[in-house]
Amino acid sequence: MTHRGESSFGAKQEVSLKLKVQCELCPKMCLIEPGQSGECRVRINIDGVLRTVVYGYPCSINIDPIEKKPLYHFLPGTPILSIATVGCNLHCENCQNWEISQANPEDENISAYFCPPERLVALTKRNNCPSLAYTYTDPIVYYEYTYDTAKLAQSAGIRNVLVTAGYINEQPWKELLKYVDAANIDLKGITDDFYRRVCTGTLKPVQNALIIAKASGILVEVTNLIIPTLNDKPEQIRQLAQWVKVNLGGETPLHFSGFYPRYKMRNLPPTSLNTLEMARQIAMNEGLDYVYIGNLRSKQGENTYCPSCKVLLIDRSGFTILKNQLKDGCCPDCGKEIYGVWK
Amino acid sequence: MTRRKFIHKLVEAGSVIVVGISWLAKNTTPRKFVWAFRVKKYPGSLKPLRDISKQSKWSG
Repeated sequence: MTHRGESSFGAKQEVSLKLKVQCELCPKMCLIEPGQSGECRVRINIDGVLRTVVYGYPCSINIDPIEKKPLYHFLPGTPILSIATVGCNLHCENCQNWEISQANPEDENISAYFCPPERLVALTKRNNCPSLAYTYTDPIVYYEYTYDTAKLAQSAGIRNVLVTAGYINEQPWKELLKYVDAANIDLKGITDDFYRRVCTGTLKPVQNALIIAKASGILVEVTNLIIPTLNDKPEQIRQLAQWVKVNLGGETPLHFSGFYPRYKMRNLPPTSLNTLEMARQIAMNEGLDYVYIGNLRSKQGENTYCPSCKVLLIDRSGFTILKNQLKDGCCPDCGKEIYGVWK
Repeated sequence: MTRRKFIHKLVEAGSVIVVGISWLAKNTTPRKFVWAFRVKKYPGSLKPLRDISKQSKWSG
C-alpha cells in the first residue's frame, strides 16, 4: 500500500517505466493507463501515480433531514450536512443520481465547491449539525476525502455517516470504519447475476462489506431498491430478508425503496405501493424487526414499532418526526431496548 | 581464451541477464495503490459556496 501525499498536476515525477497503476480500493481493481481514470472517473493515473482529483471538491453540499439518507435509527429528527463529489464505481442502469454519479469532473454542467476537510467540519459545526453524511454518489470513490474529513470530524465531536453501495475492498473498508458511526448500505439484489447485469458489479464484496460494517459495531441500516420484474419476486425478497437476518441480525433495519424510471432504465414502471408492502410483510415474516418503505408514502411503512409489544414508537410523516416515544432508547411500554443510536 | 576466462565471462553474462530481467520485472509491473494522492487543481469548474440549508434534490 502506498501512503498519501500531496502534489499538483505539474509536479515533477520520478522517471520510471512504472506507467500503469492498479487501484486496489474497490473490487474492480482497475489497471489504469497513464492519463486515464479508473471506472469511477475520479481516480486517475498521472505519470505513474494514482491521484484523486475530487479531494476537497464536493459538487453537492446540503443540509438534509437524517431520515432522507434513509437512517431511521440514528439521531432521528436531526439535520445532517450531506456532501458528494462526482463519480461512482458502479454504473447502475437505474441510478437515481446519475447526473452526478456518472459525471466526469471536467463536465461543464457540474461544477464543484472548494471545501477541504477543515472547512467542511467548520461548516457542519456552524450549522449545528450533529453529523456529516458522505452520500448521493458513493463515498468510496472519494475515499481519501471521506477518510480525512471523517477523522477530523470525529475529533471535533461530529458523527460520520456513510451512504454507500458497499463496493469496496476489505482493507480500506476496515480503515475507514474506524471513523464512521453509522451507514446505510445498499443491498441492491440478492443474486450475483443482478449485480452483474444491472450494476456492473458483483454481490460478494457487498455482502462482505455489510458483514464487516455490522461486526465493527457501527449502526447499519440496509436499503433494497425494488425494481419491477428484476428483483421484485417474493422468493427474491424472502432470500434477501433471510440473508440480512442470518448475517446481520434481525434487529438490522431494512428499507424497501420504490424505483422510478431514470437514467438507462426508463422502460420499466415505478414500483407499486402494493409490491413494497408485500416486501415489507415478507421481511417481517422472516424475522426482521424493523422494515420500512421508502420513496412512496405508507403510513405503517414509515413508522417504528416495538418488535415485542407492537406499540408505536416513532411516528413519521415523510422525513418529519411527528412523535418519538422512546425512553432512553427503550420501548416505554415493555422496556425493550430498540436497536439504534438515539442521542 | 582459457577455460577459466570463458566460465568467468559466462557467469558475468548470466548475472547481467538475471539482473536485467529482475529490473524490468520490478519496474514494469503496475504500481499498486489504495490511497490516491491529491491534486491541488480541480480539473472542472468551481462555484462559490451558496445557501446550503435547503434539502438536496439528490436521492440519499
